[in-house]
Amino acid sequence: MAKLTVNGKEVEVPAGTNLIEAARAAGVEVPHYCYHPGLSIAGQCRLCMVDIEKTPRPTIACNTVAADGMVVNTETDRVRETRKSIMEFHLINHPLDCPVCDQAGECWLQIYYMKHGLYDPRMKDEKVHKPKAVPLGPHVILDAERCILCSRCVRFCDEITATGELGIFERGDHSEIGLFPGRELDNKYSANVVDICPVGALTDRDFRFQVRVWYLDTAKSICPGCARGCNIEVHVNRRRPHHAEGRRVARLKPRFNAEVNKWWICDAGRYGFGFVDAPDRLLTPAQREGGSSTDVTWELGIAAVAGALRRLPPEQLGVIASPKMANEDLFALRRLLDLHGISQAAGRVPTRVPGDEDDFLIRADKNPNSLGAELMGFGGDARTVLEAARARRLKFLWVFGHDLLASALSERDVLEAFRAVETVVFTGSNANWTSAHAHWVLPAAAWAEREGTYTNFEGRVQRFRTAIEPLGQALAEWEIVGRVMASLGQTLSATRAEHLFRQLVEAVPAFAGLSYPLLGDTGSPLAAAGAAGRPGAGAPPSEATSSSC
Amino acid sequence: MAEIVLMRNFSNPESHTLDAYRASGGYAAWDRARAIEPAAITEEVKKANLRGLGGAGFPTGTKWSFIPKTHTGPVYLVVNADEGEPGTFKDRYLLERDPHALIEGMLIAARAIRCTKGFVYIRGEYVEPWRRFSAAVKEAYDAGLLGQGFDVVVHRGAGAYICGEETGLLSSLEGKKGWPKIKPPFPAIKGAFGQPTIVNNVETLCCVPPIVTRGAEWFAGLGTKTQGGTRMYSVSGRVKKPAVYEAPVSITLRRLIETAGGVSGTGRLKAVVPGGGSAAILSADEIDVTMDVDGLKAAGSMIGSAGVVVMDESVSIPEALMVLARFYAHESCGQCTPCRESTGWIYKMVHRIVDGRGHKEDLDTILDVAKRGAGTTICAFYDGAVGPYISYIEKFRSEFEALIPHG
Amino acid sequence: MTDGAPSTSNRTPAVQAGLSDPATIVSFSEAQLGEVRRLQSVYPDARGALLPVLHMAQETFGYISLEVEEYVAALFDLSPAHVHEVVTFYTLYFRERPGRHIVAVCHNLSCHLAGAPGIIAHLKQKLGVDPGETTADRRVTFLTVECLCACEAAPMAQVDDRYELNLTPEKIDRLLEGLP
Repeated sequence: MAKLTVNGKEVEVPAGTNLIEAARAAGVEVPHYCYHPGLSIAGQCRLCMVDIEKTPRPTIACNTVAADGMVVNTETDRVRETRKSIMEFHLINHPLDCPVCDQAGECWLQIYYMKHGLYDPRMKDEKVHKPKAVPLGPHVILDAERCILCSRCVRFCDEITATGELGIFERGDHSEIGLFPGRELDNKYSANVVDICPVGALTDRDFRFQVRVWYLDTAKSICPGCARGCNIEVHVNRRRPHHAEGRRVARLKPRFNAEVNKWWICDAGRYGFGFVDAPDRLLTPAQREGGSSTDVTWELGIAAVAGALRRLPPEQLGVIASPKMANEDLFALRRLLDLHGISQAAGRVPTRVPGDEDDFLIRADKNPNSLGAELMGFGGDARTVLEAARARRLKFLWVFGHDLLASALSERDVLEAFRAVETVVFTGSNANWTSAHAHWVLPAAAWAEREGTYTNFEGRVQRFRTAIEPLGQALAEWEIVGRVMASLGQTLSATRAEHLFRQLVEAVPAFAGLSYPLLGDTGSPLAAAGAAGRPGAGAPPSEATSSSC
Repeated sequence: MAEIVLMRNFSNPESHTLDAYRASGGYAAWDRARAIEPAAITEEVKKANLRGLGGAGFPTGTKWSFIPKTHTGPVYLVVNADEGEPGTFKDRYLLERDPHALIEGMLIAARAIRCTKGFVYIRGEYVEPWRRFSAAVKEAYDAGLLGQGFDVVVHRGAGAYICGEETGLLSSLEGKKGWPKIKPPFPAIKGAFGQPTIVNNVETLCCVPPIVTRGAEWFAGLGTKTQGGTRMYSVSGRVKKPAVYEAPVSITLRRLIETAGGVSGTGRLKAVVPGGGSAAILSADEIDVTMDVDGLKAAGSMIGSAGVVVMDESVSIPEALMVLARFYAHESCGQCTPCRESTGWIYKMVHRIVDGRGHKEDLDTILDVAKRGAGTTICAFYDGAVGPYISYIEKFRSEFEALIPHG
Repeated sequence: MTDGAPSTSNRTPAVQAGLSDPATIVSFSEAQLGEVRRLQSVYPDARGALLPVLHMAQETFGYISLEVEEYVAALFDLSPAHVHEVVTFYTLYFRERPGRHIVAVCHNLSCHLAGAPGIIAHLKQKLGVDPGETTADRRVTFLTVECLCACEAAPMAQVDDRYELNLTPEKIDRLLEGLP
């Protein structure tokens, strides 16, 4: 540990901590561009100057290790003057095209100019011109004139993905970042460079010109794209829907979690939200008779399920739950099944091809809650349930989410099973083959439209929050289950997901000791919860405080 | 003139050969050094008051002593032969005319820092010096001087002034663009290929054999209290006999100009660059300064690489600054924002002034920008640019103002 | 001996390699590949040999085309972008095929004081091209360069491998006549 003083405040930090983080620990923000806690130290932007007692001139904080007895001041006159000058250098060749720049509103040139610049511009000469609006790959677009050459993106591709697509070419004020001519920035994590770009040089092609960032609302969430459970923010456009042709989810951004994804997410997860606002969303309960489907009321839809449960012996009832459902949904469903003694239940549908996986974040299992499903008794293979159906042992089948034909299951077997069952109910957010063949469709809210928890492959339980209202009449799965129970005269005793989580903690030993407050923003591991009871993963390094820098 | 140490062999047309070098007593210092404990060699160099002759003027023995004593892996000696400072040409002479002096200096230095591999980084444009030096290295291998516990790799640069900066040089040696490295760590702790490294200039190492042969006291006695020895002054510009001159570091600039035949052109001195392009300019009345590290520091300039460029009355100072500003804009490596952005900006402003399109606030802007950027970057390149930016304008402001319309 | 520089020469690459066809296949000979491996073994990290191998490539292929960059990148197991960074950083790597000769006139301080602007103007007029350009007959690529450190003999230029000192318009004329 090193004990030092920052702006008069004493603070103790672990040995090896740099002065940007040490200052942060003392509640002091040191402005910076090139420094990023997830990348090597570059020391190029020269903005993080601080005064250290007994040092002749301001020193960069990023490359200075906190030492015992160090007296650091971030607000001396000369540090302020130096910062102001550095801001001017950063901006002399910048095109100042904020009105047409997507980064406006979350641009660290704007933010720091207001905080630390405020000089009168003196540049009268022609600025250096560089390539503009250059697509680098499927997701990222470059404006080299806006670039401040902080090299974060280059270091990301060198150090995190080790793909090395980007470089800084030429020299002096003609230096520019770019790709080897003819190549693409198409690694599986490419769009992280947009997040770490502190300015408008690298922007997101998908988000481009959609909506001004100040119209966005934010919810802390978990990526539903695979079993890693990367922490994210869901940015939604509720206030200017006409700016994005009704598209509500504007973008996903990684959210720092030291234990899960650090600062990063994969592109597949980042751009996997399209289903939320897709035209194939299921908006109302519906009944299919013959070839046509008719919208019905929730009462009617619920009654169809409740009726079957009331009428049929449990051995004729089957359920295929989904590892994409939240722990709360699965627990509600588990309670319902247990109340009725239903044992034909599964959750796992084999995939046609194994999902891609790497040794960084991406997991082959593309479900966010496989472990939770397993712990709730839905780890079984859907084939056993379908087998029972094909053997005409089932009269009722409730399928959650799965598109059973987009799986490794044989089409003939599935069709045969469906034909053999009297009533097939589908609950999910989007239409698919299963919904098209179900007798009843009960629409579910998408993950961004409700709250809940997932248990990732390492047994970490993490909360996701509501970012937007459900579309149409869609409900969270646990609410649908609750309505079924209510119509059977049973009670779920839950008006919020958290209520179910409390019950789940009591009922499922693996979750013992957990609670929503304990999970906090960064979750908690199953096993560790009871013993340690620690909330989350501690204070994140500074970059976590903002989604963009 | 006093003693000639570094250029002692230059008059012999065969001076670059091993035979000629041996005949003039070459490699005797190495024979002697082999019997001396490494630490004692470093002590001797410290006592000799040898200071780096590449530009920074750092005490050489002290630098050598920074190699961690506990380090067990490889240690590298890197010779900076990336001569490029405007107005400097001494290392070219040493490489061409006394390559074995450098090899001998390397052998001794390597022993002092317990190094088994040395790299000589020669600027890419130096084809003839590279050929001469490479031939000498081959001779030294054939004679068993090299390859017996110490190897030398001759490396050619590819055209970038910044590679003369020691850590820019190391990046380049490692096969990267020549971006200087952030310090700490310093090269002596973590240098070439991540190992402790000493980077010395050609001329600096050429001073080492004479120190070993003739003793630290003798060498120290040639110079001033804080800097021993003689050094090679590259004198060019408006002098009658431009050439490289060896002199004790205590020589005055006035005497040096006289040695070079005096001012040519109009014959009337206007200004002198005393230590390569990056040194602050001195006006005609500032030339009674001694040409050692501390003498020029006291005069508000620097000895740098001892490249002396003389300007007579007819020289346009704004034009001279424009030439240098173009150089700094061209050679800035682009790594640190203040240098990358303002070298180009300042060049544009100076160019505009020389073209008669200056604004009256330009001069103050240049001065302010230069002063604000000074000391804010990873390496000394920008500070080197600031020397001329400020001094040319402050000392010759009226010349600039005369070019500005309605100035 | 462990020479970190390739054991051939410098500059006028096209002439030395006898190349004229820009469609030359980018591939070193077996002997050259052996030299690449030798150079890579000379440095504690093979990447140290990148600059020397690029020099070699320039002599062999005439200039460093993007194909050459990719080829060299593969020899070093580097991303082509990192080789491109290096090639675009240094002035001695030609990214386009230069003329048969390079005339590089110093325009830094001492040469400027000694009349470099006049030498440059003279060359412009004689060659009919501006600095940075190559004559239509591909004979000469004309460059202005920063200090080549031969200020005692200013104005000067590097013509291919050689330093040509104390230039005058007359000397330039003779020099140009001597360039095939």
